[in-house]
Amino acid sequence: MKDINLVIEICGSAGEGTISAGEILSRFMSAQGYEIMSFDSYPAEIRGFGKCVAHTRISSDPIYSPGKLADVLIALNDIHSISQLSALKNKGILIYDSQPARPHEEDKSVLGWVDPGVISYGIPLTMLAQRAAGSARGRNMVGLGAIAAIFHMDKDGFTASIENRYAKKKKIVIDSNVNSFLEGFEWAGKHIEKIDSFSFEGVTMPLQKEKLIINGNQLVARAALDANLKFYAGYPITPATKIMEILSKELPGHGGTLLQTEDEIAAIGAVVGAGFGGIRAMTATSGPGFALMTEFTGLSVMAEVPAVIINSQRGGPSTGIPTKTEQSDFNAALSGGTGDCPRVVLAPTDTFSCYQATVLALYLAEKYQTLVVVLLDFFLSNSIRNIDIPEKPSESLLNANIAPLPEELENYQRYKITETGISPRAIPGTPGGIFFSTGLEHDEYGRPNYSDKGHLKMTEKRYKKYAGVLTEAPIPQISEFEGEMADIGVISWGSSAGAAREAVMLARKEGIKASSFSSMMLSPFPEKELIDFSDKCKKILVPELNYGGQFANFATHIIKRPLERLNFITGRPMASEDILEKMREM
Amino acid sequence: METIKSDYLDEKLDQVRAKDFLKYRSGDLPTWCPGCGYFGIMDALYKACRELELKHEDICTVSGIGCSGRTPIFINSYGFHTLHGRSIPVATGLKLAREDLTVFAVAGDGDALGIGGGHLPHVARKNIDITFLLFDNSIYGLTKGQSSSTTPHEMKTNSHPVGNPDTPLNPIKLALAYGASFVARGYAGDPEGMKTIIKQGIQYKGFSFIQILTPCVTFDKTNRTWKNLKENVYNLTLHTQADNMETAMRAAENEPFGVGLFFQDKERLSYQDILRNLNS
Repeated sequence: MKDINLVIEICGSAGEGTISAGEILSRFMSAQGYEIMSFDSYPAEIRGFGKCVAHTRISSDPIYSPGKLADVLIALNDIHSISQLSALKNKGILIYDSQPARPHEEDKSVLGWVDPGVISYGIPLTMLAQRAAGSARGRNMVGLGAIAAIFHMDKDGFTASIENRYAKKKKIVIDSNVNSFLEGFEWAGKHIEKIDSFSFEGVTMPLQKEKLIINGNQLVARAALDANLKFYAGYPITPATKIMEILSKELPGHGGTLLQTEDEIAAIGAVVGAGFGGIRAMTATSGPGFALMTEFTGLSVMAEVPAVIINSQRGGPSTGIPTKTEQSDFNAALSGGTGDCPRVVLAPTDTFSCYQATVLALYLAEKYQTLVVVLLDFFLSNSIRNIDIPEKPSESLLNANIAPLPEELENYQRYKITETGISPRAIPGTPGGIFFSTGLEHDEYGRPNYSDKGHLKMTEKRYKKYAGVLTEAPIPQISEFEGEMADIGVISWGSSAGAAREAVMLARKEGIKASSFSSMMLSPFPEKELIDFSDKCKKILVPELNYGGQFANFATHIIKRPLERLNFITGRPMASEDILEKMREM
Repeated sequence: METIKSDYLDEKLDQVRAKDFLKYRSGDLPTWCPGCGYFGIMDALYKACRELELKHEDICTVSGIGCSGRTPIFINSYGFHTLHGRSIPVATGLKLAREDLTVFAVAGDGDALGIGGGHLPHVARKNIDITFLLFDNSIYGLTKGQSSSTTPHEMKTNSHPVGNPDTPLNPIKLALAYGASFVARGYAGDPEGMKTIIKQGIQYKGFSFIQILTPCVTFDKTNRTWKNLKENVYNLTLHTQADNMETAMRAAENEPFGVGLFFQDKERLSYQDILRNLNS
């Protein structure tokens, strides 16, 4: 069977239907049985004529990263597409508008900028859209029609995906989109002389289980509902807002409450209040909001009240780059706040594990009575995958509070010192369970106590809980070079882990002995596993999306040896190609 | 050296224990200075809970930081001493999670109007069903006598030794302007009157804002002293029906201080009732 592995990009100006064309393409390809990963980039501003790029990777094999360069670029807008040419492979294919509404000045036509190796197919996008639907709006569909014809894609399947996408719109909208697609399909079929070799013809993908086409934000919301979330408080912030919007629709029907607060301090405050009340509560934010929430991290840990914060990282510091991806809140998540303040930090490594991480976060927060931070990033929040429908969490993950036994209520100590560090927690309303919690250091009853012994005892108790957390942590994802010592071990975290894994697979094909390691659990960290891994590698490489090497610094302290770093702050997701190139140099 | 007979202490304690409002008092001894107005507030709070026959386990008091922050320790109920200025958001989350509980949010003037001032308009406009007690002694007490948001203009304090350059906020006017639907004022020297107000506040389904005038006997020797307060409070019920915003605003002008209910909107729904209506 022929393998399909290609990246198609659609580039246009905001409002030209770039993103919706990309969405239709991915839905169609998923319906055809391919794996897809799509990631759009768009400007932070809502209005204006900013550059939009819909990036879709399509493959008959598992996908680990979005792919750095495109095989095909559909240029809906020449000016923006000129700057996108650098992301087109040197033997890639360009689809451009051969009869734009107004002739381009000499240096503003995308065709004038292509490298010699690129195959260019001129399609009269505007003219065909006008002919099909009486408006230039359908150029995006004409473009899809053209690639469908050139690459021998299933015309009827594609048409069905377009109809699906606009199913809730008026018939005239559906018709004009479908007609534009067909116009492009027929025109290209008749007029384009194919000189490339890409073809979907003869590829039949096995029928797959029903897939979920979904992004990380949607999965977080879905997981939270499945994991018994009953309260969400939040403040709008890119790229986390969508989580609040989904829950605002869904929570009331699940017996929960959503509160939009005046700021992020109030949001985490309300989450801590609801957690104190005994129900599962969380909030979601990004860097600037997390900075404010830091005020409450200490209280959640000190008073041992469950709280979950989802932090979808964007470019930082400060307001930073709101619509670009970065992994630069590692330090803030692990240690934002004052004092000796241990907390749980989870970072899903791909879209699917956003579900797992959210379920685990709500469970661990409740059971261990602590703060759990889940680190997503702009890429994980917004990139779309087709995944298997996740299994709902088991009952044991849904009710995790360790309540005091009747005899323990006779002389109830809310902060009783125990083997595990977990003290049985009474919920307000429990007769005999009355207690007082405080952010002050306290004794076993919760009463303020500032003695040196007391402070040490309670600090130890709070740290002790994390040994238990580690036993419930997901096993690190390790791919070892079989039989021998690896020349290079790549250690990664969060959304970079997929690219690292892919780079290692590609490196092995080139004969490089390589291994990979990533852990969803960042705090407490599975140190032993990392040390064991490191011992089997001659050199270590840590690729991550921040400038200072935050995770590399952290890992250095665990493995106590020098390591190579690979840092990008381009705002784009990690690319396996870049890691591979670095590995070749090492 | 003469020692006090232990019998005498026991006898006195028995007399005190005999008063049944003490059931709401916890076993912990207050850390406030002798003569502090907060003792009067606590008496009123205990009595209000007793008269409404609230179950101990169904009460939760949420406080911020400052002298008032210790309040939950001294109530025999669930309590949460949170962060400076943040009793309102925590109490909001708790009430939305647990509608069955009676939730008090307690804050001092620095807590409620300084660091936490941003939360007040929103809890008022949302009409969260909590009873908010503002322990207003017009000074930062726990940090030893700096100006707060209600310290009078030109008063000398430890942060403004030649006089406070700022103009004080008027908490009642703010609450009214923010759209609080139950606005009242109590006076620490009148536990009976305060008890009545607190009871009304608990029973009101919505956000009840209660400013309580109280002296700081240690760090304010000139302004809000027991003597000055006593001479400057009057009973508000003679002047207002508590159903008119304009009358309430006028009555909220500074000294003399009207004590009682300024304003109450009996028709307005609480946040949770609004949500139920919207989602039905």
